Formats: sequence, C-alpha cells, structure tokens
Amino acid sequence: MRPRFQGPLFTLRGIQFDYPGCGPVLRGVDLALAPGQRLALTGSNGAGKSTLLWLMLGLLTPSRGEIVAFGKPRRVEADFTEVRRRAGLLFQDPDDQLFCPTVLEDCAFGPLSLGWSRAEAIAAADHTLEQLGLGHLRGRVTHQLSGGEKRLVSLATVLCMRPEVLLLDEPTNALDEHTRARLLAILDALPQAMLIVSHDRAFRERLASDEHQLRDGRIAPLAHPL
Amino acid sequence: MHILDGALSLPVLLGASTLAVAGIAKGARELDLQRIPAAGLLSAVFFVASLVHVPIGPSSLHLIMNGLAGLILGWVAFPALFIGLLLQAVLFGFGGLTVLGVNTLNIALPAVIVFYLCRRGVAGPNATLAAVWGATAGALAIALTALGVAAVLALSGEAFIPAAKLVVIGHVPVMLVEGLLCAAAVTLIRRVRPDLLGVMSRSASASASARATAGADSRAPHSSPVQPPSEQPAPVFSEQPARLTR
Amino acid sequence: MSHLGDPSAPLLGAGDRTHPARGPIQTLDPRARILAVIGFAGVVILLDQPVALGVALALALTVAALARLPLRRTLRQLAAMDAFVLLMLLMLPFTTPGHALFALGPLTASAEGLRLAVDIALTANAILLMLLALVGELDPVVIGHALHRLRMPTVLVQLLQFTVRYVGLIDAELDRMRIAMRARGFVPGTNWHTYRSLGYALGMLLVRSLERAERVLCAMKCRGFSGRFPVLDTLHFRRIDAGLAALTMLALTGLLLLEWRLG
Ligand SMILES: Nc1ncnc2c1ncn2[C@@H]1O[C@H](COP(=O)(O)OP(=O)(O)O)[C@@H](O)[C@H]1O
Ligand SMILES: [Mg+2]
Repeated sequence: MRPRFQGPLFTLRGIQFDYPGCGPVLRGVDLALAPGQRLALTGSNGAGKSTLLWLMLGLLTPSRGEIVAFGKPRRVEADFTEVRRRAGLLFQDPDDQLFCPTVLEDCAFGPLSLGWSRAEAIAAADHTLEQLGLGHLRGRVTHQLSGGEKRLVSLATVLCMRPEVLLLDEPTNALDEHTRARLLAILDALPQAMLIVSHDRAFRERLASDEHQLRDGRIAPLAHPL
Repeated sequence: MHILDGALSLPVLLGASTLAVAGIAKGARELDLQRIPAAGLLSAVFFVASLVHVPIGPSSLHLIMNGLAGLILGWVAFPALFIGLLLQAVLFGFGGLTVLGVNTLNIALPAVIVFYLCRRGVAGPNATLAAVWGATAGALAIALTALGVAAVLALSGEAFIPAAKLVVIGHVPVMLVEGLLCAAAVTLIRRVRPDLLGVMSRSASASASARATAGADSRAPHSSPVQPPSEQPAPVFSEQPARLTR
Repeated sequence: MSHLGDPSAPLLGAGDRTHPARGPIQTLDPRARILAVIGFAGVVILLDQPVALGVALALALTVAALARLPLRRTLRQLAAMDAFVLLMLLMLPFTTPGHALFALGPLTASAEGLRLAVDIALTANAILLMLLALVGELDPVVIGHALHRLRMPTVLVQLLQFTVRYVGLIDAELDRMRIAMRARGFVPGTNWHTYRSLGYALGMLLVRSLERAERVLCAMKCRGFSGRFPVLDTLHFRRIDAGLAALTMLALTGLLLLEWRLG
C-alpha cells in the first residue's frame, strides 16, 4: 500500500451546486477531512448530503468552488479517476453499488479495473470477504442477498480497493440491530479516515470524533457538540 | 405473440434470423460501455412489463410494449428485447428456441420503425399531440408485429394463411390497449424526465444536444469556472440529470 | 403480478446454487448443456417424419426425467401457449388441402393438415422440453457465464447480466406501485383509468430504472471502471461433459438417419 498522505485528505472551499431546475442545493460548503479523522455529517432529508459526497468524487460537478483531494486541486473527470480509487464511497442504496452477478465478481470488479491480475483480484476479494466474515457469501448471486448482507458486501467491494478514505452514505439504513452492531464493529476497527453521513445518533457517537451539520446548503456550526 | 418451434419453413426461419442478427448487431454497436447499465435496466423493465396481465373485457392479455421500447431505445431495442425473449424462452419455456430470431425481428423491428416515425412527435411542444403520437407509437408497433407474424406464417405455407388473418384481427384489441398505455407512459415521462425519450440512441441524443439551447444541455450550466465541458468524456446521460426548462 | 411459475418464487433465479445437484443432468457443465440443446433443436426442426419426431420427443422426455423436472410446473409451461398458437394448430387440419379425413359441419379435415399439426406440436414440445430440462434449471447468472465462454458477444453478455441483476428489483418496484394503487381503491378493469394508471406506472418504472442506471454507472466509475468488464466464473469442462457431447452427437445422427430412412 502506498504511504499514507499526511496533509488534509479533502478540502472543499465554497462549493455550490444545484440540480437543473430545482434551485440551489449547496450554497457554499467548506469542509476539511484530515487523515485518521472520523467526521460525522448530519442534516435533514434532502439537505444535500449525498450530493456532497458525489461531488467529492467528481460524480457531479460543482457550479462554483474548489475541491482539493490528496493535495491536488481536482477539476476535470481525469483528475477524479485517482480520487475515486483512493477514496471509497459506500452508496446510500446497496442495489446501486452491487451491479455484478455474483458477490465474488462484484468484489473483484474494482481491483480488476485497477489493472490487478485475476489472481490478485480474487485474492483481495477473498481476503476482504473473510476479514468481514462474509466468506460464505462468496459464490452467492448478489440480487438474492438480504438487505443487511447487501450492505456488508457493498462495504467489502469498497474495501477491496484498499481506499485511504471512506465516504459512508447512511450505512446503517434499514439494518437490523445485530447487523448494525456488526457493521459498527467492522468500521471501528478500520484505520481509514471516514466521512459518515448518518441519522443514527448512537452510531455517530460511537464512531465519529467530530460532527458537522449541513443546513441551508452550508456546513452549519454544531448545535450539540459531541 | 410467440411462434412455436417447427411451425415455420426453413427459408423463412433462416431469412428472418439473419435479419434479426443484423438488427442486434446494429443495436449493439450503439452501445458503448457507458450505456450498457441503462440498456440492461431497460431490457429488464421490458421483460417485467411483458409479464404483466392487462384486463380487457372478460379476458386479459400480456403486454409487449415494443412501441415504448422503440421510443426510448431506438436500435438498441433489438439487443434489449432479444435478451428478454431469450430469458423468457430459457426460463419459462415461453416462445421457442429456433424461432428466437423470428420473434426478435417481429417485436424489435416495429420498435425501430416506430422510433423513426414517432420520436419527433412525442418530443414535440404540445402535450396532447405528444400523447396522440405516443398512442400511435404503441398501436402501430403492435400492428406491425401482428403483420410480421402473419407474414412469416403466410410465407411458410398456404395452410397458414387463415391463421395469419386471424392473428391480425386478434391483435386489434391489443393495439388499442397498448396504444392507450403508451400514450399514458409518454405523458408521464414528458412530465418527469423529458430528456429520457430516445436517450439510448446516439443519433437521437446527438441531434437533441444540437438542438439544445441554454439550459437544455445540462452539462453546460455547471461547467463554467470549475470544469470545462470539453474535458468530460461523452456521458451516457447528462452528468446531472437534465430537466428541460421550457 | 403474474409470474408464470410459482408466484412466491423470485422472478429469476431458478434455483439456489448452493443446493446439491438434484439429478445427473445438474452435474453437467452448463456450456455442454447449452450446446446440446442448440444441436438438438437444430436437428429436430429438420425432421418431418412423425416417427422420428416421436423418438425426439421420447428423448426429450427421458432427459427431462433425468433432470427431475417438476412435473406440474413443466406441464403448465408446456400448456402455456398463446391462444393464437393453439387456434392455429386446431385450424391447420381444416385449412390444409388434401385427402378428406372427417368433416365438422361445413369444414373437412385433411390427413395432410392433421399430420402438419401433429408435426408442429411434436417439434415444439420436444425442443421446449429439452430446453427446460437442460438449461431451464440453470441459474440465469450461470447461463450468462456460459454464454460468455461460448463467445457470445461481450455486449450481449453484459446486457444479459444487468438484466438478470435488476429484473427482480424492477419487478418488486412495479409490485409495490400496484399495491399502492390498490390500497387507494384501484380496481383494474377495461377502462381508460386502468390503462392510464398502468401506463403511468410503466413510465415511472422506466424513469426510475434509468435514474438507477445513472447511479450504477457512477458506482462503476467509483471502482475504477475503465471499460473492461471482467467475468469470473467457476465453469469446468470435465470428462462427463465430453460424454454428453458424444452422446448428443450420437442421438442426433440417429435421429437424422431415422428421418432419412423413413422419408
Ligand atoms: N437527480 C436529481 N435531480 C434533481 N434533484 C435532485 C436529484 N437528486 C437529488 N435531488 C434533490 O437535491 C436535494 C438534495 O438531495 P440529497 O443530496 O440526496 O439529499 P440527502 O442525501 O441529504 O438526503 C433534494 O432536495 C433532492 O430532491
Ligand atoms: Mg442521501
């Protein structure tokens, strides 16, 4: 694995964004994420949290503002190719994320796309699945997994790429108590910096060191500091 | 309507299958890797739609919805509908194996024809007129499908001609139902995401962005200071979902 | 929703692959099974002699028995023909000129017509049964893998895989919409309201699916998608599969010989 980057991982300055014909969603977001930091992000439904995560990986383009990731300003699609392999996004809906027929193929998709050999990719996939206690799901067909299994497997597909940062979009959504605890334990043991979008207060408090709130299109000062 | 294995004469079978392969190849060429997820999801939608029973009088019928498929997919209707037919045949035993090509041709060719005839109409400024074009698309596609089935039957032997006539007459109610459904679907799509009509066709999206002014090309308004649009690889869809502001 | 099989079963996904194989057919390599059924179909449509076709059907029945096809579901699938097709078969004896066999009111049935109808029925059922026996029990995901190995164009394999992946999701979505409609007092009937509502539901399904496709594409980009689409499978062609290939060749040659001797 490459040596960890020492400066701030992400720095966002004055990010503005609107979906066409829908009015502004973000009106000037400033945000920084340091190595090792676990930052929670809250905000009401439709506040623009998912949008912000998508912007950070260049999946959407801000109308104004600057994104610096891993020490370099990122503007065009080509800049973000590197960002996407170093920062892993856990999508809000696991069904969007798991698009391959089987669990193994889904986990190996990222490594193979990075140009790893077949054997390396399969080894990475197997290693990650074992690590998360999901080895038994290896050969399963993704669309036949339960909701909680889908969530954990999506996390595995992200971790297979050995990202330095995790962007988690409502990871505990629709998880039962047991799976939620399992996810919490897994995440808590990971060394990566994280940006955690979650409505689950106890989950945030266990996992995150800082908390920001997205309100009216800006990062607002925290109402109740942790 | 599905034709059975063994009903058609060999020349008809081979001729129609060759045409179907050509259509599938043409459609597949329009599919770059960025469009495959969308095409796959759409072929799943039309597969699901084809299993819906719609009541008509005392009975009910299976939908085909190839008119709507044509409006959205253009030539991609060929590979997308072929996949649906393949799955139906293999998993449900619905339709035959050797007639897969014939069935694909009979369902996808009308979709493509409808695409060329009606796409402009359903995208026009007047909502009522667009719905009428939608109905035309839905009904016409079924009519052409019925004619295609009748044609391959009639070409296979004189004994089939009465059956061929029956097929055409029997499809009249199906035409009406699919026309109405297609009109409603077009109306909804125009309200919700008008940019999606014909989204899968390269030629169509090219002409759409050529016609696009100001806000219609969704990549433009966001590109200003941060991201020059020319740097973007050609997206399947606009990077931000477009809402045509008329 | 009208699934053609068991309504409670998932739309696709014939079986859980963790199940032990249920019969000798299930242990065979999917590629060998697909090739065998294609070869079988190709030969059977060439046959004209009712005896040869009868033998072909018997062969298909044997394979179906070996595959332990569930009897009830299979019969239902065989019977699930279009009304048109059925009508066509019933009409054929009366619309084909030839030696009169019997009369039904003003219509006379010809021996040639009857034979044509019987031919078609035998052909269709033999091929369908063989298809269900050899391929129908495969998981669609495995079918995709096998077709990939059999050199089906990559674009089509990927299309198939995305279709298989999302068909269940889309089906569930349509189901939820229809339940929501019914919860608000909707009763389907032959009227504009029904057709409009169903049309809206289908249109909405299209929109949602295309929006999901955009998100899926983003997820692919997030994982370094560069245009290559890897396929990982666990297919192994073994000696028993070579056995199947040899047996198939033998059977097909036999069928052709029979046809030729009788014709
Ligand atoms: N594809 C889209 N097109 C138009 N508007 C959208 C789209 N996606 C999200 N929005 C709107 O943008 C706002 C922010 O959405 P999102 O970032 O998903 O919110 P959150 O994740 O905080 O709940 C919402 O008002 C939503 O309606
Ligand atoms: Mg969200």
